[in-house]
Amino acid sequence: MSKAGDWRNYQRVLLPPVKDLHKLEVYEANEGYAALRDVVTTDKWDPTSVTNEVKKSGLKGRGGAGFPTGLKWSFMPPVDPDIPRFLCCNGDESEPGTFKDRQLMEYNPHLVFEGMLIAAYAMSIKTTFLYIRGEFADWITLMEKELEKAYEKGFVGKNIMGSDFSCDIVIHKGAGAYICGEESSLMNSLEGKRAYPRIKPPFPAQKGVWGYPTTINNVETLACAPLIIRKGGEWFSGIGSEKHPGPVLYGISGHVNRPGVYEFPTGMLITDLIEEVAGGMRGGKQLKALIPGGSSTPILRADMIEGVTMDADSLREAGSMMGTSGMLIMDEDTDIVSWLRRITHFYHHESCGQCTPCREGTGWLENIVTRLDEGEGNLRDLDLLIDLCSQMEGRTVCALADAAAWPVRYTIDRFRSEFEGKCKKPSPVASAELATA
Amino acid sequence: MADFIKHPVVELPDRKPEPVFGPDELVFSEDEKAQVKTWISRYPTADGAIMRGLWLAQEKFGFLPPEVIQLVADEIGIPYANAYGVATFYTQYFKEKKGTYVLDVCTCFSCQLCGGFDMLHYLEEKLGVHKGETTPDGDFTIQEAECLGACGSAPMLQITNGPFVHNLTEEKIDALVDALREGQMPAFTSVTLPQDEDELGGNRRTDVSATDTYSVRPVSETVR
Ligand SMILES: Cc1cc2nc3c(=O)[nH]c(=O)nc-3n(C[C@H](O)[C@H](O)[C@H](O)COP(=O)(O)O)c2cc1C
Ligand code: SF4
Ligand code: FES
Repeated sequence: MSKAGDWRNYQRVLLPPVKDLHKLEVYEANEGYAALRDVVTTDKWDPTSVTNEVKKSGLKGRGGAGFPTGLKWSFMPPVDPDIPRFLCCNGDESEPGTFKDRQLMEYNPHLVFEGMLIAAYAMSIKTTFLYIRGEFADWITLMEKELEKAYEKGFVGKNIMGSDFSCDIVIHKGAGAYICGEESSLMNSLEGKRAYPRIKPPFPAQKGVWGYPTTINNVETLACAPLIIRKGGEWFSGIGSEKHPGPVLYGISGHVNRPGVYEFPTGMLITDLIEEVAGGMRGGKQLKALIPGGSSTPILRADMIEGVTMDADSLREAGSMMGTSGMLIMDEDTDIVSWLRRITHFYHHESCGQCTPCREGTGWLENIVTRLDEGEGNLRDLDLLIDLCSQMEGRTVCALADAAAWPVRYTIDRFRSEFEGKCKKPSPVASAELATA
Repeated sequence: MADFIKHPVVELPDRKPEPVFGPDELVFSEDEKAQVKTWISRYPTADGAIMRGLWLAQEKFGFLPPEVIQLVADEIGIPYANAYGVATFYTQYFKEKKGTYVLDVCTCFSCQLCGGFDMLHYLEEKLGVHKGETTPDGDFTIQEAECLGACGSAPMLQITNGPFVHNLTEEKIDALVDALREGQMPAFTSVTLPQDEDELGGNRRTDVSATDTYSVRPVSETVR
């Protein structure tokens, strides 16, 4: 059953229907920066109460892992005036199938800035970085322009709104590397190093950028903070699924009539999202499979989605994950093996090469899936692939190796006959010889 | 020396290639130096400014041969090896000369299923070069890109690390190539949210000249 309540009459809050909301004047006229003003200039709030409000809201990270945001904030060590601390807002958005943060940054950039500042206040942080992937050059230009206006107005920088809270926002431009979305890789990238992920522990809250306490959150996660302060944690926790609440941006792509970024509560029925929200399957075709939240989340067959809703619990039961809620919808004509081949190529290309199981494993995944796709594979290759996945999962510095292995493991598991259909048939002579041997 | 060391299987890059840019070209203007200074001031250590520095240099010189990387390293005040390490880590930094326009066609994930390879192959045939190659007149380089974060308007491409072109069709590619040959870069295109179409009657921004919608090509048009 849908957990999204009366979603057909849902009023958007992350991307409310206001023309030119990306402009500072318009944003301000629509309650923009009111939450920040409340937080920094009144006695109503202190850092602990802001964090507690976010905890109460039940907000979970929208960057992929779905970690409770308030809890993450409370991991920061006690303030020591001699030790700087940092916040990084993760706008790397490189997970295939994910395109929501780009739209949020274009259409509501000040909500992102305000969220970063509120988070910074909650953790007593004076410097924040907004890491945006280099491919979003045009969006970086837009964000920089709007940020400058916010600085001029005194909403960012020294003594924000006349209070004693000061905080800077630095926009960092990436240059094309999926791995920079991984939080420790992002930190190395910021520091001007090759963006190799770091071994954890130590976790960022202990030793983050430049070795100082750091918190990393996704763009959409931080954009929820001003809403939580403005309308209350209780309001937020009442939206969508009880255990995974809030508004969420669904990025729907693939074989549907109306792809795009949609804002709805969490806990939407997948079938509602496909049939009603995205206008049904293109050309009246049948659904074959879908990816619920970006390329790393396990594929679901059409017969596995009955009654499944877009929240952590329901998707776990169904055998997948919420991820980034970037959904790819595939129709009956999709060649799953060819599709998997391209995904293995992606992970091979994006592996940073630090760990042997990942560097070599992603290459072999691509080689073997390519062989299968070309019709040159053997049945035993399928078991070889599964074995290879087991050799990669959980054995590396970062989760990219797992993210590369899961699509292979679950796609073979759930579409085995398609793979078998592309394998070489044993020649009759050979089988006869085998039978008599 | 073992034979394979003298004759490596993989051709190793020339460690000291002939510089492309002469000493009089290899300078930053005062304005550019000021920009670098600003970037340095925003990070706890100067190293943080390296990515912006390399971007600045690439915009100026078109690509990043060793002498340009050296120039950036010197300007920021970090070792050449660090700057080189960063420059070679990221795909958007060009280590060799490219065409005037680099066309990055996404064939990943959603784009693959919506005709990304068709678009790539059409472009290859149209321009007579393969992906990774530059046309003899030096106008175009075609590259195959990984997901560029615009999957809802697949298939799509990006022009020289700049504007995105959404919802590609063969006609759109024809028009684009013609325009680029005339030196006209397409304007930034804002993709209208479906919910904005319903609630605002179109794109929410009044300050953009070009808009597009999220859409999908008909079934018959794509080969998988
Ligand atoms: C290989 C890899 C790539 C990732 N890419 C992104 C990304 O592009 N954007 C993002 O927000 N998080 C990404 N993440 C997740 C981040 O590491 C981190 O968990 C997240 O930014 C935390 O934010 P949240 O708690 O707000 O979700 C990635 C993780 C891995 C392992
Ligand atoms: S798992 Fe892969 S991407 Fe992650 S650190 Fe190791 S080699 Fe790099
Ligand atoms: S798959 Fe092409 S932009 Fe995401």
